Amino acid sequence: MTELFVLIEHRKGEIRDISFELLTCAKKIAEKENLNVTALLLGSKTDQIIDKIKNYAHKIYLFDDPVFENFNSEIYQKNLSDIIKKESPLLTLIGHTAFGMDLCPALATELNIPFSTDCLNLTFEDKKLKVTRQMFDGKLNTHEILRENPSYIITIRAGSFPAVEGNFNAEIVKLSPKETTEPEYRKFVEYIEAAIGDVDITKSDVVIGIGRGIREQENLEMIEELAASIGGVVGCSRPIVDADWLPKDRQVGSSGKIVKPKLYIAIGISGAFQHVMGMKNSDTIIAINKDPNAPIFNEADYGIVDDLMKVVPILKEKILEMK
Amino acid sequence: MNFALSNDQKMLRDEVRKFAENELAPIAPEIDISGEFPKESIKKLAEMGLLGIVVPEKYGGSEFDFVSLAIAIEEISRACASTGVITAVNNSLTTYPILKFGNEEQKEKYLPDLCSGKKIGAIGITEPNAGSDVAAMETTAVLDEDHYILNGAKRFITNGTEAGIFVVFAYTNKELKHKGITAFIVERDTPGFSLGKHEDLMGIRATGNCELVFEDCKIPKENLLGELGQGFFICMNTLDVSRIDIGAQAVGISQAALDEAVKYSKERVTFGKPICKFGMIQNMLAEMATQIHAARMLVYYAAWCKDAGIKRFSKEAAMAKYYAANISVDVTRKAVQIFGGYGYTKDYPVERFYRDAKILELYEGTSEIQKLVIANELVR
Amino acid sequence: MDIIVCIKRVPQTAEAEVSIDSTGKSIQKDRLTFDMNESDTYALEEAVLLKEKFEGNITVLSLGYPDTDDTLRIALAKGADNAIRIKAENFENPDAFQTAQILKSVIKTINFDIILTGCIATDDAYSQIGVTLAELLEIPHAALVIKVDANEQRTHVHRELEEGLIEHLDIKLPALLTILTGINEPRYASLIAIRRAAKKEIQQLGKENIELEDLVINSVIEELYVPPVTKQVEILTGSPSETATKLAGIVKEKGLI
Repeated sequence: MTELFVLIEHRKGEIRDISFELLTCAKKIAEKENLNVTALLLGSKTDQIIDKIKNYAHKIYLFDDPVFENFNSEIYQKNLSDIIKKESPLLTLIGHTAFGMDLCPALATELNIPFSTDCLNLTFEDKKLKVTRQMFDGKLNTHEILRENPSYIITIRAGSFPAVEGNFNAEIVKLSPKETTEPEYRKFVEYIEAAIGDVDITKSDVVIGIGRGIREQENLEMIEELAASIGGVVGCSRPIVDADWLPKDRQVGSSGKIVKPKLYIAIGISGAFQHVMGMKNSDTIIAINKDPNAPIFNEADYGIVDDLMKVVPILKEKILEMK
Repeated sequence: MNFALSNDQKMLRDEVRKFAENELAPIAPEIDISGEFPKESIKKLAEMGLLGIVVPEKYGGSEFDFVSLAIAIEEISRACASTGVITAVNNSLTTYPILKFGNEEQKEKYLPDLCSGKKIGAIGITEPNAGSDVAAMETTAVLDEDHYILNGAKRFITNGTEAGIFVVFAYTNKELKHKGITAFIVERDTPGFSLGKHEDLMGIRATGNCELVFEDCKIPKENLLGELGQGFFICMNTLDVSRIDIGAQAVGISQAALDEAVKYSKERVTFGKPICKFGMIQNMLAEMATQIHAARMLVYYAAWCKDAGIKRFSKEAAMAKYYAANISVDVTRKAVQIFGGYGYTKDYPVERFYRDAKILELYEGTSEIQKLVIANELVR
Repeated sequence: MDIIVCIKRVPQTAEAEVSIDSTGKSIQKDRLTFDMNESDTYALEEAVLLKEKFEGNITVLSLGYPDTDDTLRIALAKGADNAIRIKAENFENPDAFQTAQILKSVIKTINFDIILTGCIATDDAYSQIGVTLAELLEIPHAALVIKVDANEQRTHVHRELEEGLIEHLDIKLPALLTILTGINEPRYASLIAIRRAAKKEIQQLGKENIELEDLVINSVIEELYVPPVTKQVEILTGSPSETATKLAGIVKEKGLI
């Protein structure tokens, strides 16, 4: 049977959520295209991870070696290209993560396999692979057709396939790695944890997220006042951290913190997916943005299309009145 | 004939626009309320080379032409009118007269500091009893061995509170009437020189506008700018240049008002449709855009005259300043009108533009004076 | 240290209205402003910082239409020494992979120690050209770099992973790094630099000037469309006072105040 490979992503011994999402995506495609789902696990001391994924795949290819403990795209690439060359899976799925972005283009290029990145969905139509992606700051979607080939590699955006546990019982096949020496030209040194700041935005019931739309640093005060009125904390999207208006530990999003408060108020945030990844599981989401087409409104429960400078001060007053 | 900007002019416009949008526009509403002189912005302007735009590189300037100067002032004013006039005064009212009329020692001594922002420039022409009638000034300078002793006061001096270098006009011989006026370079720490009343202005509120007071102020003889009795000529010559930049400032403020008005008219819905679909709004927008375009052409043309080496462009400069100032008040008024009640609030910037625009008809020669200059050229 | 920076001129769509053109495969561009891709400006600044430290030469390279010259010229004003435009008009809608192949053909004729690219282009959002290019050139790479600490032979880099975690790597030069926003503070071009850059020539490379291998296209855009609404948002309408009141009411109803 033709194979569908899924690359399992883990960090510091813990499996990452994207792996379950990829396996869920794989199952969906495998059922339709009659494929065999094989998880590729390169790791060290992997028992726990195997336990967690074995219901999701027909088979697990296990490469067990201490060198796989930390991700290194060069050494992953050498081993993956070998197995993909040998088995020619119809499709290899990788997460569109810091890990996948560093690996996929090089791997596919080495193998001369057509690939696409940051896909939200994919289907096979007349043997051709069609992917759904986003362009122009998430404002438009595209359908793209990949060059016809017996094998493809795709990276999938996190959150595109909510994990659903499967009912497989994976056969575990131990393979001996082709390459287990970390190359001298790219050496892992260490992980550095983010500094811990004075406010932990993941612990608050109310998070007010601000983005580019607040225009100037001085407007932070107004937002802080609103947060104080409602008993919440202020988080932000990446541009605010890039501008040094708030510290990195306030950033909500895939490269920042994942928050799940009871209430998230997105103010002047357009809603790039990296940000949405960090807040979409909040109980209630409110968006205030003057651009009615801002993608954030696709995530919100309630929205106000207006100038935040006008709405925010009044909102603060009204909340204080109702308290 | 060629209306296209050169590569460097286009790049200057794009980069200054980006700079002004990112660095100046965000603080413009705040300094309008506080009246605080934007010192941090001045540092950034200096880093970009915007304080000595037409000054040769050997004196620390950027060595661009006068069209480029006008473009830069326009873009800065579009983001912040206060910063626009601060920059214009440093460029065309301080570095320019020193560059044009100063001797080599003066240029080497003062221009690098003015270009680097180490010292800010200002000019002292207007007095409590002498505005449009420059020759009615009462400040005097009397030679005492190797010093001139200055006595008098200057009023409404942009950059006054912050400046380190002032070009000041005074009578050295009252009997010769305007031919008895002489220009001097006065440094801030000169004994006998102090600052008077700080003005609380209607618009351009962050420009350090204040009174200058000279009480037996001792200025070294070598600080005489140009020649003895050449002051009135220097003054008029300098104003010809600076009026182009005030025209540019007017174009910038007007453009900002139009940008806001267009945006708002597309967002604001009344009677079930965006107000930009209504003929009366469209009428205003079309008029505003045309007025701005005409003003910009007059400004660029006057600057081009200066660059082309045309000796006498007083009329062109006066026309540019008069017309651009005039339409700026009208364009910003229309912008407030399009915004309706919201336009009258500080929630939107158009009320600030309206206040900022009014000064354009008053300073560096009122509109009436501009028309006088134009008419005098016609019937000369 | 010789550095190549690959840049792209892109429409500024973050705060603009974006609409699909009549072909259905592209967007209406006439009302959009174009500028250097955001993360590319950080890559360029990082190159200038490296040059200030080690001396050397910066070449900026872009596959683009003639108006890309404006973007390259600004790059020259910000500190690049040479600029090369590869004529996009000689190629038919190159995709990301083909773009990487074309860049590779040009880069292999230039000496370099480091190649820097932005980590993502805001228009097509692939995040793949840099890493693809490194593979085609057979040099090491690191994607999503937030700190560079180089010496003549090697560079330490910090890659930004998820949830604020940083991965510290040690990489041998020559190498390719894709740069994240926020790594530095991109400068404005000074007027003097603009005046000098305006006179500089931008090397124009047509198809005939490049030794190309057979170009492969990986993907073709079939259609663009407005994303379907996934969650039905309730838009509150009225004056700011009315909408704010409604919103405060909802917050209270949810028991949050």
